[in-house]
Amino acid sequence: MSVYKFMIDVQYKSNLRDPRGETIKRVLKEEHGVPVKELRIGKSIYVEVEAASSDEAKELVKKMCEDLLVNPVVETYEVRSL
Amino acid sequence: MKAAVVVYPGSNCDRDTYHALKLTGFDVDYAYFFDQDLSFEGYDLVVLPGGFSYGDYLRPGAVAARENISRKVKEFAENGGLLLGICNGFQVLMEMGLLPGALLQNEKGKFICRWVDLVVEDNTTPFTLAFKKGEKIRLPIAHGFGRYVKVGEPRVVFRYRENVNGSDEKIAGVASESGNILGLMPHPERASEEILGGEDGRKVFLSIAEYLESRGAEK
Amino acid sequence: MRYYKELLKRLGREPTPVEKEAFAVMWSEHCGYSHTKKYIEKLPKVGLGGNAGVVALDEDTSIVFKIESHNHPSAIEPYNGAATGVGGIIRDVLAMGARPTAILDSLHFHRVIDGIIEGIADYGNSIGVPTVGGELRISERYRYNPLVNVMAVGTAKNEMIVPSKASRAGQVIVVFGGATGRDGIHGASFASEDLTGEKATKLAIQVGDPFAEKLLIEAFLEMVREGLVEGAQDLGAGGILSATSELASKSGLGVQVHLERVHLREPDMQPWEILLSESQERMAVVTSKENAKKILEIAKKYMLYGDVVAELIDEKVFRAFYKDELVMEVPIDILTTPPYEEPLNYVPGEMPDFNELDFSYTDATQVYEQYDHMVGTDTVIPPGFGSAVMRVKTGKFYALSIHSRADLTLQDPYWGTYITVVESVRKILAAGGQPLGITDCINYGDPDVAPAGLAAIMYALKDSAEHFELPVVSGNASLYNTYAAKPIPPTMVIGMVGRVEKVVKPKKGKVYLAGWHGFDLKREELLHKAIMKARESGAFVLTPSNFKALVTYEKSFARYGMKLKVKEIEGEPVHQMVLVFGKDNLGIPMQEIGVLR
Repeated sequence: MSVYKFMIDVQYKSNLRDPRGETIKRVLKEEHGVPVKELRIGKSIYVEVEAASSDEAKELVKKMCEDLLVNPVVETYEVRSL
Repeated sequence: MKAAVVVYPGSNCDRDTYHALKLTGFDVDYAYFFDQDLSFEGYDLVVLPGGFSYGDYLRPGAVAARENISRKVKEFAENGGLLLGICNGFQVLMEMGLLPGALLQNEKGKFICRWVDLVVEDNTTPFTLAFKKGEKIRLPIAHGFGRYVKVGEPRVVFRYRENVNGSDEKIAGVASESGNILGLMPHPERASEEILGGEDGRKVFLSIAEYLESRGAEK
Repeated sequence: MRYYKELLKRLGREPTPVEKEAFAVMWSEHCGYSHTKKYIEKLPKVGLGGNAGVVALDEDTSIVFKIESHNHPSAIEPYNGAATGVGGIIRDVLAMGARPTAILDSLHFHRVIDGIIEGIADYGNSIGVPTVGGELRISERYRYNPLVNVMAVGTAKNEMIVPSKASRAGQVIVVFGGATGRDGIHGASFASEDLTGEKATKLAIQVGDPFAEKLLIEAFLEMVREGLVEGAQDLGAGGILSATSELASKSGLGVQVHLERVHLREPDMQPWEILLSESQERMAVVTSKENAKKILEIAKKYMLYGDVVAELIDEKVFRAFYKDELVMEVPIDILTTPPYEEPLNYVPGEMPDFNELDFSYTDATQVYEQYDHMVGTDTVIPPGFGSAVMRVKTGKFYALSIHSRADLTLQDPYWGTYITVVESVRKILAAGGQPLGITDCINYGDPDVAPAGLAAIMYALKDSAEHFELPVVSGNASLYNTYAAKPIPPTMVIGMVGRVEKVVKPKKGKVYLAGWHGFDLKREELLHKAIMKARESGAFVLTPSNFKALVTYEKSFARYGMKLKVKEIEGEPVHQMVLVFGKDNLGIPMQEIGVLR
């Protein structure tokens, strides 16, 4: 068994409004003069899992995303191996 | 009339809901998250109260929706039991997939606690019998994640009269197609006594009582 | 360390590094109240002291309340500083056996700091305790030292009140709650070269966990209901060291602590770090050996960690072990009786003519709307109308206020403080309350540079409390609020609780201005009688400190579908005028001033 590390990036689906992101985008544009085209706020979840292989570890991470970590109604996710 | 108020870790309107149900004449029990032998057999109504179940640390209602007690709640509703989710309870119902849509962070990104004006869109559910269709009512809201996002065409029961949190079509509460499950962001239990500023919320509990009595009479 | 020579003298030897750390905390101003202790001793008091003050609402119910500051942490990290401030004061009230029922906050900023508001909101909202009142004062003078004072209130059946001490040798102390980490350890004499950059930041900033706090509240109240709690103290500054030594020494006992039994979040912690950790959301409970198991079961049921970490002994020592290794051993009384500064004598002068200063009042509705002020379904008069009125579901009511006049204390600390108490009494009376007690929070600059101002404040608190025959049941002092050696205005925040017999809600109709444009202490009683008369006749009363700042009232009325329209009112910075709704004959000067529609 070894330890595998992942970062899960969770974003709201792009057709949904992201009021927090919109606010920050506006602040950056208006108060900091940065020409931001798009800004969306999501979250990152860092996990370490113990598994026999990297494939098994990936499966475990996928399972936890689908079981709990991600709400498929409104969110999408990507898993990055670290 | 027997009601159970579910207490998740982090629920904080459980005692308020208990009090309001008692005032309306229900026999009420708490259903605690730590009670392994919990059963909803013999209950007419199960309420998921407001609060911050599991701290709302992942997404509001997400963790609660997937634990043991929620499986029993689901079973209860699938067998036709009356299930009411208020605020965090509504969020749990969404996460359980018992009601359509999602509840996201308020448009302005801030928690809002205030009385709001609503209209009753559907008075044919067991939870809204005592209202008139189109009745204008006032209830308190208190939430940070109450922006209803529509998926499909939900059965809308309550609508805000003004835009308070950016909800699609100002939706404040929806029911299941069968009508035995209602979720709403406003707090009827906080509007159950005149001294607290209004009694419109009490009518939700009175509706349930009326419905149960008429159903009992049919039997 | 400030009292190092004194420590050498009392110990009769050099302190070990661990002891140096321990005394630095226990004898700090924060724990030891060195500068205010002698003044506090002279204040009128009532009943039993403890983590928070207690007054009787009626023959069955007690009200427990206290204010605490969290100024420095909120200046460093607004969100978490403010959040953990709420958590800490809630546990003080909880430790008395009371269910926390209300939060009020007093905020002094140079502008509205969103992070602080959100910190208070997220924590208070999450634990299900309504934030029912507060004050928001804006002045440039607080730019570098924002003040965050939080008042927590709770109610308990009289027989459920828990003492803040142990009672006999053989009892044990259970610490339960969240896990213990390196939070809040400053490490003044250890490894100072390590305490730089990122690590120092990590050590100093504490992150609140409202979810754990909510579970702690429910678990602790269940322990109390089950009759398992014989004494309790929350873990704050000084962590396990402070809680266990105080529980023991207040009863003339000693204590032995076993640090290896504490559940750690960071497994590599040193024994001294475990002893001094200020991790939030933890509580120390005194119980019998037999009941300890039941306590641990309840903690576990609520998803909390719990361990029997200490036992009370007859010998008056504080002894800490890690496994078999002795970490620290000192006579317990040295630890818990910090040195104090000699108080000054203060003779008040005549009340000066106060000037209007640059303190502005903003619309507070946008702030309190972010606080859940209704959870608990006991908020009868919500925020925005001066004092809040709360219900006990047995059918009793109580009024709560939090108030300060830093614009006056800056000009005259004695009279500014005195008037703060006078106006607080007015606020409680206006809500239909009979004042029962005071809790205070002194926010001050450097008492070593300016000791007289502190003396003036403390004398004024004593004199005004005696004048109104009110006990000062609890309090807190935040000193050294300076930036580049410049102090904040002395800011005395007064929290007050009153018993309410009859709830009056605002009704539409004519609004009258009653009283006098200026201030004369001898006349205050007449005003108080007029307020009470108005209330008895069912009239709503408001007592603004500043008539230029009615915006919060106006916006609050608007939220309840009413419109307040009053003519512009000229008043002195200190006045004796109140707004009376729908009653025009109170036997003092009155004039029609507007209307509530």
